[in-house]
Amino acid sequence: MANNTLGYMIIDGSEIMIRGAALVTDTKGFPLDFTRTDPLRPDQLARILYGESFGKYAKEKLILESLIDAVETDPQVWICSDHDILSPLREKSRIKTVLLEESPHVPLDAAGHIETTADPGVFLIQANANGAPMRAEFPSGVRPDEIQQTAALLTEAAATMDILEPFTRLEKALNFLATGVR
Amino acid sequence: MGLRDFFARRIKRHVDVYRIDDFTLEKPEVKKAVSRPDAINIKPSIEIKASRPFNFADIHENTKCSAVKFNFSEKSVNANNYRIKHYVKEDIKTHKYQIAKKIRTWSMLKQMQALPQERGNILKYVRKRPEVSKGEMILACYGPIVEGAVLKLALNKQHGTLLVWYKGGSRQLKAKNVYLIRRLGLGEKPEWRWL
Repeated sequence: MANNTLGYMIIDGSEIMIRGAALVTDTKGFPLDFTRTDPLRPDQLARILYGESFGKYAKEKLILESLIDAVETDPQVWICSDHDILSPLREKSRIKTVLLEESPHVPLDAAGHIETTADPGVFLIQANANGAPMRAEFPSGVRPDEIQQTAALLTEAAATMDILEPFTRLEKALNFLATGVR
Repeated sequence: MGLRDFFARRIKRHVDVYRIDDFTLEKPEVKKAVSRPDAINIKPSIEIKASRPFNFADIHENTKCSAVKFNFSEKSVNANNYRIKHYVKEDIKTHKYQIAKKIRTWSMLKQMQALPQERGNILKYVRKRPEVSKGEMILACYGPIVEGAVLKLALNKQHGTLLVWYKGGSRQLKAKNVYLIRRLGLGEKPEWRWL
């Protein structure tokens, strides 16, 4: 359990500017690795050439690959909050990957409990005893045993940290770097 | 018919017939009015193979991303009515355009380690609330927090959240919840309690 690490991947941006950051923490949420990219500002020609596909290309090919290559401490599971990078993150990193979000559901029976939903590949995971279950989405084609292993890792980590909290820190850090305001 | 003709028809049973050799009316001039417009074949050499209209979104959704190159000319050639008006004699130079393959990354671990973690009040989710003495009331609960690794705690009164700084390198992993408990009575201050 002491060696468990969680990785958080965030890619944030618009047509004007895209940037990304990766944070790897221990199970206390303490940072072990933090990597961020330079902001990518596409010029007018790039926007014309790539059109609507620019965002997808920039996220997958430029930002995500650069971050995966730069991270020195590989986590046991990558956690993201953006559906666009869920499958590419799994394919490129070859590490367990899950998209986690808060859910409005009432708490499940006990910590570690998993419940299927109507959406394929989407589960409710009660990682922490005190709180609502998280909505967990897995890339298509992931084996059931990998889902179980990921849920077990999250449940273990949730005993000592708030699983979704590092996203808030990542957003604050990126916002601080962009604007200088905490 | 005149009177002579009347009697001729009744009595003689015949009618004088006059022949007119020269037909005085002019024959109408007949002209061929077949029109042969200059026809231009504008049939395009396009063959429709798709069963439904082309949709850019199909490409957007199904195409895998890859590094794409784009060449463009340095000088433009003016064209008017499809005839080249101005022709650039020398070879047209082309430039390759490509978005950077890799983005520069920065490691900023120390700055990130200095940021506190933020815990929200989870009191409404706590299933088994700890027992408190008479005259005490639980105001808030924050957790899970590894007590042995805490460097500093601070309450964000504006948002009602608890800011947690951990010591780097701590191997403590026993987490607890910290409760904010208020003692009822004048002059009593709220108290933090690990339970």
